[in-house]
Amino acid sequence: MASDEFSVYMSGVGGQGLVLLSNVMGSACASVGIQAITGEQHGLSQRSGSINIHMRIGEQIRSPLIPIAGADAILALEALEALRYVEYLKPGGVVVMNKRIQHPIIETIGHMKDKATRYMSVEEVKARLSEVTDKVAVVDALEIAKKAGNPLTENIVMLGALSTLEAFPIPEEALKKSIAENVPKKAVDVNLRAFDLGKQAAFETLCNIVKCKK
Amino acid sequence: MGSADVVRDGPAKAFMLCNEAIVRGAIEADVKVVSAYPGSPTTEILDTFSGVKSNFDYRMEISSNEKVALETCAGAAMVGHRSISSMKSVGMNVASDSFFSLSYTGVKGGMVIVMADDPQAHSSQTEQDGRAFGPSAYVPMLEPSNPAEAKRMVKLAFDLSEKHGVPVLMRTTTRVNHQSGIVELDKIVRKPFEKLDWSHAPARFTTVADTARKFKLQLLERTKRLEEEFNSSDLNRVEGTGSEVGIVTSGAGYNYAVEAARILGIKPSILKLGTTYPLPKRLIADFLKKVKTVIVVEELSPYLELHVTAIAKDANPSVKIIGKWTGHFSEAFEYNTNIVVDAFAKALGLRTPVDYDAVMAKAEELKKGLSDRPPTFCPGCPHRATLWALLQATKGMKHILSTDIGCYSMSFLEPLNYGDSMLSMGACMGVAAGMQYAAKEKVIAMVGDSTFYHAALPGLVNAIHHNDDFTLIILDNEVTAMTGQQPNPGSDYNAGGQPAKRIVLEDVIRGMGITDITVIDPYQAKAVVQPIKEALARKGPNIIISRRACALYADRNKRKRGEAILSNKVDKDVCKKPYACIRSFNCPAISIDDDDRKATISKELCDRCDVCAKLCPFGSIKLREGE
Ligand code: SF4
Ligand code: SF4
Repeated sequence: MASDEFSVYMSGVGGQGLVLLSNVMGSACASVGIQAITGEQHGLSQRSGSINIHMRIGEQIRSPLIPIAGADAILALEALEALRYVEYLKPGGVVVMNKRIQHPIIETIGHMKDKATRYMSVEEVKARLSEVTDKVAVVDALEIAKKAGNPLTENIVMLGALSTLEAFPIPEEALKKSIAENVPKKAVDVNLRAFDLGKQAAFETLCNIVKCKK
Repeated sequence: MGSADVVRDGPAKAFMLCNEAIVRGAIEADVKVVSAYPGSPTTEILDTFSGVKSNFDYRMEISSNEKVALETCAGAAMVGHRSISSMKSVGMNVASDSFFSLSYTGVKGGMVIVMADDPQAHSSQTEQDGRAFGPSAYVPMLEPSNPAEAKRMVKLAFDLSEKHGVPVLMRTTTRVNHQSGIVELDKIVRKPFEKLDWSHAPARFTTVADTARKFKLQLLERTKRLEEEFNSSDLNRVEGTGSEVGIVTSGAGYNYAVEAARILGIKPSILKLGTTYPLPKRLIADFLKKVKTVIVVEELSPYLELHVTAIAKDANPSVKIIGKWTGHFSEAFEYNTNIVVDAFAKALGLRTPVDYDAVMAKAEELKKGLSDRPPTFCPGCPHRATLWALLQATKGMKHILSTDIGCYSMSFLEPLNYGDSMLSMGACMGVAAGMQYAAKEKVIAMVGDSTFYHAALPGLVNAIHHNDDFTLIILDNEVTAMTGQQPNPGSDYNAGGQPAKRIVLEDVIRGMGITDITVIDPYQAKAVVQPIKEALARKGPNIIISRRACALYADRNKRKRGEAILSNKVDKDVCKKPYACIRSFNCPAISIDDDDRKATISKELCDRCDVCAKLCPFGSIKLREGE
C-alpha cells in the first residue's frame, strides 16, 4: 500500500457523533485536495448499538471498507468498542480510545443475574489490546470535554488527540476550519477548545509511545 | 458535508454522503417534484431534499408510502416536469404495482427512482435483490459505485429518461448509499418553477388490453435502442487491458474488486458496468473474447453471472467463469474487501499477504467475554415503557404478538425477545386476522403511527369489516422514528417544515366504526397496566393507542427551545438492589456499580422519562439536582 495512505477505524456507540468526525475529516480533505472515502453506518444500529465508520484517506483507495489488519489506527469513542474491532488494526497500529465505558444493557442484565461477574474494565481492554500492539493510548474525553465547556464534544476531543499522530495526513488548519463549518455556529468555540485540549492530552499520553507531529 | 455543500454553487469540491450527492445531482438536473417515504439506506436522500428545500423551488412531499410517492412523481412527469423518488427495495415492492404500468405508459418529463438494496439486511427484513425490477419491468437501470459517480449518473438518468420517455431506475446498495467521498460540484442552473399545460391526447397514459399490447411492442423497441446506446456509453468501462484475467463487476462489488487486486498485487482487466439493464451485451462479448478467466464480483443473486455465462456461450465458450456457481462467492450477505481477496486468491492460486485466519483467531481470543451491543431502545423511549406495561398486563395470558416495522421491532431482539411475527410494513393486521381464525390464544397486533398510515389502513378496514377478534396497539410517537424522526400524516408539518394537515388517529378509527379505543401514556408505567389488561380482555377488534413522543424527537425539540434535558440518579442510601429498574425494563442509561452492586444512572445517557423511578419499590430514583 502506498505510504501516503491513512485508514482509521472509528467506533463507538450509537449517538456518540461518529458521523461528525468523518464529515470534519472528509471536508478538510476536500478543501486541501486529498482523496477520502468512508463506509458509514446509519439506520437501525444508531439506536444505542455498536457502530463504526471506516475512514480512508489516499488517492488509490476505492473500497469504503478497511480490510482486516488494514487500519493504521482505531479511534474508539467508547473503550469496549475499541476491542470489538481489533481485527481491523494493522499489527503494531495505534489505538486511541476513550476512557469511558457505556455498559451494554445485556451485559448489565447478566451482571444482575450473576453476582460474581464484574464489568469489563478499561484496564482489561487495554491489557488485551496490548497483546497485538504496544501503542494504546487512553484519553479521558468526557472530563476534557466538560473542561472545554460541553460534555457532547467528546468526539472532537478524540479527533484532537488522533490529529497529533505524525502519520495523520490532514493539516491542522484545514481540520479546524472544517470543525468550524461542520458544527452549529454557537458551538464553534467550545469545539475548537475541545480539539486543542484533546491534542494537549495526546501530547501527554499518546506521544510518549508513538511519533507525533511537532 | 451536508446541506451547506448541497446548496453551495459550483464549480467546487465537497465531501458528501452518496445520498447527498444524489440530491445535489438532481438539483443540478433541475428536478421539480420530489416525493419519497423514508427507508434505510435511502433516508438521507429525503432528509437532504427536505433540509435544503427552502433554497430551491421544487415541490416536495414525504408521502404516506412508496407507492404514493412513485405515483406522485409519475403524475408530475406525465405533465412534463422532472421528478425523483427514492426508496429501499422493499419499498419498491409496495410501489411496484404502478412501477410496472409506468414502464408501459412511459413519461414525458424525466423521472428517476433511486432504489436501494440492503445486502446483510442491516436495516431490512430481507436481502432482496432489487435488480430483478429492471429486467422484469423493462426499465433501464444504472448502478453507481461511489458518491461522485452517483451524482453524475442521476443527471444522466434524467436525460436518458426524457430521451426515451421511460422512468430510470438507479439501483444502489447500503455500502454505496452510506459511503462518503469527494464530489465535484457543478454550477447550479435552475429554471423558475412553473405549471405546464397538459399537452397529451386522451388516454395517453392508460394501459390495458389493446393499448397494453401496443405499449409492450414499443417498450421492446425502446429496450433495444437503450442496449445499443449502453454498448458505447462511458457508464460502462474497461480498466486495464492485456490481462488474461478479467473481472466483471458493478456497484459496490467494483470497489472491493479494485482493492482486492491491489492487495494481491495483480492487474486484471476490469469491466465495470454502470448500466445493469439492459446489459451492454456486445461490450461484454468483446471483453470475454480477450480473457481466459473471468471473475464475476456482485453481491446477492448471480444476475451478472447468469448473463456473462449466456453471452460467453457464443463469444468465448472456453472462458473459465468464476463466481457463485463455482462456489467462490456466496449469494448471502454483503461483501467486503476480504471476501473478494479470498475468492481471487483461491481462483488464481495466489497467497494472501496477511494470514487473515490467524488475525481473526487472535481477535476472537481477545474478545472473549466482551458483551455484544445490539441496537436497543433509546433511553427514555416510550416503546420500552409500553412493552414493559404490556408484558405486565399479559402475565399469565397466553397470547400471540403480531408486530410490525419500526423501532418497536427491536422488541424481539435481545434482551426482550418478545414478539411472534413480523413480515412487512403494515402486515401485522392481516397476519393477526389469520391468527385469530387459527389460534386458540389471544391475538395482539402492534403497529407504529407511521406504519399504520403507510400500509396498515387497509388491514384495519378489513379487520373491522369482518369483525376480527384481536386487539390492535398503535404506538403513536408523533414521527417516523426509526429512520430519523421524519414527519408523517399524524404531524402538522411536512417536508421542509411546510405546514400540513394533521390526521387524527382516533378520528380515523372512529370514522371506521370502532369506539372501543383506550388511550394511554406509557410514561405512567404501572398505572397503565390495568387499562391494557381490561382492553385485552374485551372482544376485538378494539384499539389501544399508546401515545408519547419519540424520545430522540422530544429531545431535539427541547434543545431547539433551549430547554435542559434533565436526568435521574439513584439514591444509594435507599437502593436495596431489587433491580426493578433493570429487570424486563432494560434502560441502557442504567448499570450496576461494581463496588456496591447498586444501580447507577448515567447522567449523560438518561433522558428522564422517570419510568424507572415509578418502577422502583423503594423510591430510590430521584431527579438529579445541582450537578
Ligand atoms: S428513535 Fe425514538 S422511537 Fe426509536 S428507539 Fe429511540 S426513542 Fe424510541
Ligand atoms: S429516567 Fe430512568 S428509565 Fe428514563 S431514561 Fe433515565 S434512567 Fe432510563
